[in-house]
Amino acid sequence: MNKLKYFYSPLLALVLLYGCVETNILDKVGLTTLVGYDVGTEKKIAATVVIREVNPEFQSNVEVLTTENDTSKGNRIEANHQLSKKVVVGQMRVVLFGEELAKEGLRYFIDTNLENASVSNGIYMAVVEDRVAPLLEYEYENIEDIGQHIFRLIEQNIEQEYMISSTLHEVARDYYSVGKDVAMPIIKRDKELVKLSGVALFKDGKMVSRLPATDSFYVKIVRDTFKAGLYETILHHEDLPSALQKITTDDMTVAFDAIHSKRKVTLVNAANPEFDLNVKIKARILETYPDINQGDPKSVAALEKAIQNKLAKELEKVIAQSQKVESDIFGFGEIYRGSVRHAQLTKEKWHEMYKDMKVNIHVDFVVLRNGVFE
Amino acid sequence: MKPFNQNQSPTAMNSEAPTENLETIAQAQDHFIQSIKDATNNPDDLIIQSFPPNITLIYIDNLVDDQTLNNNIIADLQNKPNDTPEILMAALSIPEVTVTSLLIKAIEGIINGSVLLHIEGYPQVVIANIASRESRALSTPENESQVIGTQVAFNESLSTNISLIRRYIVSPDLCNEKIKIGRRTNTAVTLLYMNGLASDQMVNTVRQRLASLDLDALIDSAVLAEMIDDNSLSVFPQMLLTERPDRFCDGLLDGKIGVIVDGSSMAIICPQSFTEFFQSQEDQNLRWQIATFVRLLRLAAFFLSVYLTPFYVAALTFHYEVIPQAFLVPLSESRALVPFPPIFEALLLEIIIELLREASARLPTKIGQTIGIVGGIVIGTAAVQAGITSNILLIIIALSALASFTSPSYMMGNVIRLIRFPIIILAGFWGFYGIMLAVCFILVHLLRQSSLGAPYMSPFYPPRLKEMRDSIIRMPIPLTAKRPALTRSKDDYKFDPEPIKPKKS
Repeated sequence: MNKLKYFYSPLLALVLLYGCVETNILDKVGLTTLVGYDVGTEKKIAATVVIREVNPEFQSNVEVLTTENDTSKGNRIEANHQLSKKVVVGQMRVVLFGEELAKEGLRYFIDTNLENASVSNGIYMAVVEDRVAPLLEYEYENIEDIGQHIFRLIEQNIEQEYMISSTLHEVARDYYSVGKDVAMPIIKRDKELVKLSGVALFKDGKMVSRLPATDSFYVKIVRDTFKAGLYETILHHEDLPSALQKITTDDMTVAFDAIHSKRKVTLVNAANPEFDLNVKIKARILETYPDINQGDPKSVAALEKAIQNKLAKELEKVIAQSQKVESDIFGFGEIYRGSVRHAQLTKEKWHEMYKDMKVNIHVDFVVLRNGVFE
Repeated sequence: MKPFNQNQSPTAMNSEAPTENLETIAQAQDHFIQSIKDATNNPDDLIIQSFPPNITLIYIDNLVDDQTLNNNIIADLQNKPNDTPEILMAALSIPEVTVTSLLIKAIEGIINGSVLLHIEGYPQVVIANIASRESRALSTPENESQVIGTQVAFNESLSTNISLIRRYIVSPDLCNEKIKIGRRTNTAVTLLYMNGLASDQMVNTVRQRLASLDLDALIDSAVLAEMIDDNSLSVFPQMLLTERPDRFCDGLLDGKIGVIVDGSSMAIICPQSFTEFFQSQEDQNLRWQIATFVRLLRLAAFFLSVYLTPFYVAALTFHYEVIPQAFLVPLSESRALVPFPPIFEALLLEIIIELLREASARLPTKIGQTIGIVGGIVIGTAAVQAGITSNILLIIIALSALASFTSPSYMMGNVIRLIRFPIIILAGFWGFYGIMLAVCFILVHLLRQSSLGAPYMSPFYPPRLKEMRDSIIRMPIPLTAKRPALTRSKDDYKFDPEPIKPKKS
């Protein structure tokens, strides 16, 4: 009966190990969907959590709690004291930081979330203008579950490529990369709604500056490829080529749908960093105001030229701003590190170099189709 | 480890054999009649008729065909004088007539529905086989019904079944070996295979397994299949039971070996791999795209049926992280009223479903519909309203029960039904780790199985790329020319694998 041993061993394991695993029965836990951190009093962390609880009586309700403690785990204990259900973080989708806290540095929060196995690396991180607590505690007229709402808001915008992506994974990667800095969306309350209001630039995990939300397009095309987004830009009258200047006396608004963008960055000069940035955008023109004759190849070529110049100018502006605050959100440093042998790059060293870095921007804008509407 | 005693004790056989086997027929009529009466325990349906001057006719009433008896034997006897058994034999106008001098042969004949004709003064007897066995008419397959394909099933008569097979395979290569199994029942078991296709070694294995069975009685082929399996203790059947002659013949033509038991409407086919249990004969009759779709559907149904409920239990008990966000609220709301942990909830519902299934299988057909109403409406709706199960679990359980019915082999359907329970329990104890443990256990177990020594998981393990074309998918017929290596067939290809349609010139 030697063979029976094999049947006994799982049976024995079943008996002995039953109950060794901690259960988290779905209806017995309070699911944290969103956590917001603020600077609390006396160097404490103020945490605001959005917790979804399911009760037989109320079906399900959303609790917003604010607690203050020294650590995020301490805050969780504190939250547990106020709830009838065990607080768990496995369904957390968004982590928000108050502006003040973001300026102090997020290293601790990136680490603690990264180390927690039940926190997904796909959660979104964002900065809130001013403090988080008021944003979450506000009684919105039409938003039932603020946690889910903010998650959907960020997710939707990232998927449509209106906003740069900032999952925990990406934030941590950028944070620990020598030649790249973190960028996150900024959100704020706008009356009865929550809106994305900009892009936060970080230096060494500390927020140093911000860009308006519309500039996230430029950040995106330099950071990586771009596949889906819609973009609208205003071409100033003085920048228009003469062919188009005839048509209108005013500024021209163009909306296009970038089908595909590709960027290529090459290091030209290693001593005083100088990069060639080639951005190639293939797009469909969706709308122009005032209307131009898109059937005419000449005016289309002129329009392409005008948009190219405009984009190059904007890119230059955005990069210049990031250089001013020494926040390399585009990852030029990584390209430098990849191109220069034994660069021995450190964050400090790169930030020094980044300030004086030169970028030659070439934009190649191609109108693939026009008159095609979604 | 073999649970059944397949080794006959040779001494027991030999000690009895000579005395009984060699007893000869008595010359005297009285003695002969008495010896027959003794041997058959003088049943009331034993008919003894004398035809003067010297012929005695003995048969068992319920076993012979009365019409043949009257027209072809009694009529013949009355017309002519018969002096010796040889002349008598020639005189009878029926095909199956033999002469024997051994009593045991005579007994065997009378038991099988022969008429014994004894002539006074001769130590021989004429055996005329005019057996008529009660059997029902051929009917459509009940358990393995299909839309496109033949609509005939085996019935309980061995000779009918063999004639069905001979109709599909009109070939002298179809070999037929008869073996008697069961000391008390003397059940006729037929071994069928294609000479030139079936591997000799496998035929020998089956023959040896059948011959060495020392059984008291054999009533059904399912019992036989379990006993000649490679691993009788496994929950997975290693031989296919089918009631479809077309499936049976298709197996024979793949080089497989078939066994038919008299009195049983299910035939055994072996060797059989695991994936073949999920193939239906109808797949051959459909276009390959559709057949592939249906096969993949069945495979998905297998996994769905086995793993869906455990997944629910594990996700709700331990891994709330994996539940998609959109699903979270409906799931937790439907769970909110349930007082049990998910494992009890799931086991409870699974057992209710199994009860319903078992009840509807046992109930007389006339009140079978009641079960549908009781099960569907009363238990389903009421259980949710009473708050002992959640809506979503009800859907999951119903879905997995439904999926388990898609298996073309009822035997495999039963396995799916059963193995779900330990997996649910493991999922309730250890979550996904438990499920993974069960998956590993099942996989290891399946990999260890063999069917007549052939690997059970073929063509996936060992990987046989060409045969995967006709496994969980079915490629177009020209691409599936190769016979499965599982059967170790002597002829590798069914036909020339070159395309039949010439290229356009």
